[in-house]
Amino acid sequence: MSENPILEARSLTRYFTVRAGGGGRRHKRLVRAVEDVSLSLRPGRVTAVVGESGSGKSVLARMLARIVTPTSGELLLDGRQIPLGTKRGLDYARQVQLVLQDPFASMNPVHLVRHNLERALLIHGATRESLPARLASAMTRVALTPPEGFLDRFPHELSGGQLQRVSIARALCVEPKVLLADEPVSMLDVSVRLGVLNLVRSLADDDRMATLYITHDIASARYITDETIVMYAGQVVERSNGVTLIDEPAHPYTQLLIASVPDPADPTSVAARNTADEAARQGVADVGCRFAPRCPSAMEMCRSAEPPSFAVGADHESKCWLHRDGAVATPVRVASHEGDPRA
Amino acid sequence: MNVLEVRDFSVEYGLEEAAVHAVRHVDLDVPRSSVLGIAGESGSGKSTLVYGFTRLLRWPGVVAGGSAVLRVLDEDGTESEFDLLAASERELRSIRWSEISIVLQSALSALNPVRRIAKEFDEVLRVHSSGLDRSARRARAVELLDMVGLDEDRLDRFPHELSGGQRQRIMIALALALDPQLVIMDEPTTALDVVTQREIVDQLFELRQRLGFAMIFITHDLSLLVELANEIVVMYAGEIVERASAEEIYAAPRHPYTLGLINSFPPMHGERCELVGLPGAPSDLAHLPTGCSFHPRCAWAMEVCKTASPKAQPVGDTGRLVACWLHDGIHEVPVELRRSVPQRQPL
Repeated sequence: MSENPILEARSLTRYFTVRAGGGGRRHKRLVRAVEDVSLSLRPGRVTAVVGESGSGKSVLARMLARIVTPTSGELLLDGRQIPLGTKRGLDYARQVQLVLQDPFASMNPVHLVRHNLERALLIHGATRESLPARLASAMTRVALTPPEGFLDRFPHELSGGQLQRVSIARALCVEPKVLLADEPVSMLDVSVRLGVLNLVRSLADDDRMATLYITHDIASARYITDETIVMYAGQVVERSNGVTLIDEPAHPYTQLLIASVPDPADPTSVAARNTADEAARQGVADVGCRFAPRCPSAMEMCRSAEPPSFAVGADHESKCWLHRDGAVATPVRVASHEGDPRA
Repeated sequence: MNVLEVRDFSVEYGLEEAAVHAVRHVDLDVPRSSVLGIAGESGSGKSTLVYGFTRLLRWPGVVAGGSAVLRVLDEDGTESEFDLLAASERELRSIRWSEISIVLQSALSALNPVRRIAKEFDEVLRVHSSGLDRSARRARAVELLDMVGLDEDRLDRFPHELSGGQRQRIMIALALALDPQLVIMDEPTTALDVVTQREIVDQLFELRQRLGFAMIFITHDLSLLVELANEIVVMYAGEIVERASAEEIYAAPRHPYTLGLINSFPPMHGERCELVGLPGAPSDLAHLPTGCSFHPRCAWAMEVCKTASPKAQPVGDTGRLVACWLHDGIHEVPVELRRSVPQRQPL
């Protein structure tokens, strides 16, 4: 924990302006995709960001990779301030590598795997002579052996799991310090997911990689993470060291998220039901807590004032008014399953 | 009392030499008002199987053999058999949607993007229940939307104006519009996030209890199935490798593939430890290994597995079927594959 962060984000914020409405009703609307998110990525640690689609987690990853320019905030690499803007310079790109969800879309389909990897190396100034050795070592690292068996194939000749390993190898071959993995396993078959997750974990353990693991699959986050962040509507609503927030969720949104995960191991698990009606659920509140329209414990103040983050335990904070006195709230259990649904 | 009986059913893509055997000799029974789960990875043939017996397969997919019978319960309580594979297009039209309906994975591509939602409901009701006039059809559409928890004003929206969850609810409402006896759900929640998935699954079960239709639920998410299905079949490379009740499958899997699949899901509780799951990648249907298709990935593969394909046979006395040489009564069953089924604690 004491180690200095390699990549640090302070209050990263990104707003998008979209044109909404049709016909004569055209007007501009502000989408607050990511707001005031701070995080530190340290060597050898996996930080998991969990959230639903639309929670801003991918925009966050793209800001960290400097593909999307933050509206405001600071980015520090190795303690040095990085100017905002997407003119990122090769050195930043070499040190901070992004792996995306769909390996088929992130490889050039008309070139061999070898070309896809060599290109990354050549752009970053590798000499032609060094290529074979560096390719072989990257491919070996992701357990695609023998490397020749995979390098001289086209992306479509590999399975999703193999190709995702190739895209991780491509990120690794330039020897980055930070790996940003945006839903790296969600498109893969169930049986090959674990292998890729184990690989991400071992890159942190054995190669001291600072890793950001973005996912909507809480169980997979629990499996590999050292620090967990839950995002809702562009904001961090809960964060904790390790998996504390998954085992003992404090924020009502995290509780809802975790209660929704199918869990056959726990027959007493409580099904989350939303009392708020469908229309109300769609909107994210503009004032007050963004989760208030969906929150089963929403109070008067939640609709008027946005809560700050409160400490709810050691290395565990929750952005919820329920925790303003430092009290750890008892889990709010929503309507229970009435009997067995199969009955 | 089964609403659907499928026997020795096979589907191929392509013809003769070049054929890919996507579904091989599958038997399936769906008891009335029950939920059958089909689990398997992509390429295991689970969608091809249902497209096969519902006659929705497109060329080059061909039903290569077997039978599929739908038992339709008439209003007076008598059952009539409907041979799905022999039926003409005209006869099929008489049972499609009204007796057997399907909800597809991608609700965005299943709804016509340039039509308002009302039109989708209006069309199916106009074509299939001719007795209704325009206002009665509208009223029925409102009633159906209400059933899945949506407001009437959604009827006048276009699909792109609705969220993924709302679109999937509309697909479910459409599938139920004519009160079918069997509803097939092909990965209905895969594209949705976990909270929306939970809401839709709860809704489906409430509806099923109320309306009494039978359901085939296809997904790769075994933990979801264990929660909802009465019975689960696990498919691998086009074959059913194990069939048992949901509790038995989860607590005491008998086939090595089922065990590996269950171990591939990191748990939500308990100590964290490194999981292995399944080695290797799913078999390529165009180049299937000899013998048992799973043997190259199986930790317990024996000589016989490489040469002869195991037949599904009963294991235990609960109707469970397993296609694995380990359970032939001669070989010793590894301890992992003979866990006992825990008695359900009364809640």
